[in-house]
Amino acid sequence: MRDLPIYLTMMLAAIRAKMEYRVTFLFLFFALVTFYLGQLGTVLVVIDRFGSINGWTLGEMAFLYGLMVFSQSITTFFFASLVNFEGLIMQGGFDRYLLRPLDPLPQLIASQFEVSSIAHLVIGVSALVYGAAGTDIAWSAGKVAFFFVVVAGAVMIQGGVRLGVSAICFWTMRNRSLVHILVFSSKEFILYPVSIFNYWIQVFLTLVFPLAFVNFYPSHVFLNRDASNLLFSPLIQYATPVAGVVFFSLAYLLWRAGINHYQSTGS
Amino acid sequence: MSEGPLVVVDHLSRHFTLTESRPGFWGSVTGLFSRATSVRRAVDDISFSLEAGEFVGYVGENGAGKSTTIKMLTGILVPTSGTVRVGGLVPWESRRENSRQIGVVFGQRSQLWWDLPVRESFDLLRSIFRVPEGRFRENLAELDDALELSPLLATPVRKLSLGQRMRCDLAAAFLHDPKILFLDEPTIGLDLIAKDHVRSFLKRINQTRRTTIVLTTHDMDDIEALCERIVILDEGKIVYDGATESLKRRYVREKGVVVEFHGDPGVVTLPDLPTVRVEGEGAKRRFSVPVDSVGVATVIAAVAARFAVKDISIHEPKVGEVVKRIYDDPASLTRPEPGP
Repeated sequence: MRDLPIYLTMMLAAIRAKMEYRVTFLFLFFALVTFYLGQLGTVLVVIDRFGSINGWTLGEMAFLYGLMVFSQSITTFFFASLVNFEGLIMQGGFDRYLLRPLDPLPQLIASQFEVSSIAHLVIGVSALVYGAAGTDIAWSAGKVAFFFVVVAGAVMIQGGVRLGVSAICFWTMRNRSLVHILVFSSKEFILYPVSIFNYWIQVFLTLVFPLAFVNFYPSHVFLNRDASNLLFSPLIQYATPVAGVVFFSLAYLLWRAGINHYQSTGS
Repeated sequence: MSEGPLVVVDHLSRHFTLTESRPGFWGSVTGLFSRATSVRRAVDDISFSLEAGEFVGYVGENGAGKSTTIKMLTGILVPTSGTVRVGGLVPWESRRENSRQIGVVFGQRSQLWWDLPVRESFDLLRSIFRVPEGRFRENLAELDDALELSPLLATPVRKLSLGQRMRCDLAAAFLHDPKILFLDEPTIGLDLIAKDHVRSFLKRINQTRRTTIVLTTHDMDDIEALCERIVILDEGKIVYDGATESLKRRYVREKGVVVEFHGDPGVVTLPDLPTVRVEGEGAKRRFSVPVDSVGVATVIAAVAARFAVKDISIHEPKVGEVVKRIYDDPASLTRPEPGP
């Protein structure tokens, strides 16, 4: 980690580079805020109609949504360059990272900054604050600490998705449709409490594609919800950090295998 | 540092497995389970070595295996068999360490930060390669002197012309004092003045710093102007490796003598020199002289003795023409040299 200052310098450069386009920056920012307010609005309309969704009140839903968007903001901050990894492979840009005395992954992390990460931050924090105010969460020091551990775990899960999907490029060159399905559209699953889905989808979102750990399970801890009916064990509400470490590690193994394959086939 | 060549390439091969997709819907479905494969030998058992300070042209047609070789020398690609040592290191095993001793410039792709001023890209590279501040300043001063960078330093890279960008990219590749520089088409798309600029810089840096330079290009004028040695690749094999000059000498079987006469001399023949062909009509004629049997001076003397000559020029084939002939007929290289 003695290279950390170098990566920080690169990250700052990436932010400065984005600031070159102030107008684009502002337009994108407002477009994204509008989009997410619309998404939130849809959820609110549904709740307004039915009073609650599967026993989740308005405030609780806002918290659930906030946790998803807030962790997505941090994921986007670190893993923005992996969204268009296909372009980097096809145009040979990835080779440049292999021609430097550094590891390719942190270079990628430090190479791009996305404005959407700030938009997500604003939306996510607003939804969390609104949700926390609309429910009677008793914030103890322990809960605050656990909140940050949960966010770290949620970032590792979402970052792991991006990393794993990018790694596939090393074999297939292209991954754009996978990015759209697995990175973006899949978020629809955790817009609502995962408990609304049937058993097998819940299993899928827990063991295979573990997005349920991003917001659904840990919200039970913060909102003091009854966890006795959760999949497998009530302890699963605390398991996000573990799930994050395991999932990210698996994605990283796939990534390493991908780089080895790339270096041994030059596709 | 150990004595001996800086780069040693020993029986290096790189094969690619190509999958053939069958046509039609059914073809793509069955293709998911089994595919016909074939092997392409992109680099096929090549060996050569480079001494410190050499300036080598690495040429071949598209797909001849040039960039595959460069990728192995820079550690991006692992070979199928054979070994490479660059400054004692195996590039793909010590990729990071190797990257400190090499510089790589791709004519088509910049390594600079597109949206940032040039100066900031240089600072970033200084951090990335951990160049000591003092050394960095010396290098920048020298590169500025050779490439006239000062007026460009505050400009974002995206606003540079192609020629300006190439100057900056060349400088960027030298900031960490590489022992070897790999150049891939550095003059592609440049105008004549910019090309000249790049060439004179490369010549200078090769002489002053003794940097070994490997130049991959399709521009044979680059090779002619810069490279003392040329390695020609064809279908993954080295078909020629030697001095650029001797390639010409060996291949140049004919020289052209173009003579301009005072007025149209009518039918021109040289009865004493039957092997010399005469082409063209009017006041300007071209004599093709087979250098093995006839001296150019003999031809000039014979022409001048019989006709009123206004001007004479001698045309030697350029390396490009020679290399083109080799591409067209690689077997010609393995034929024995014509006797005297």
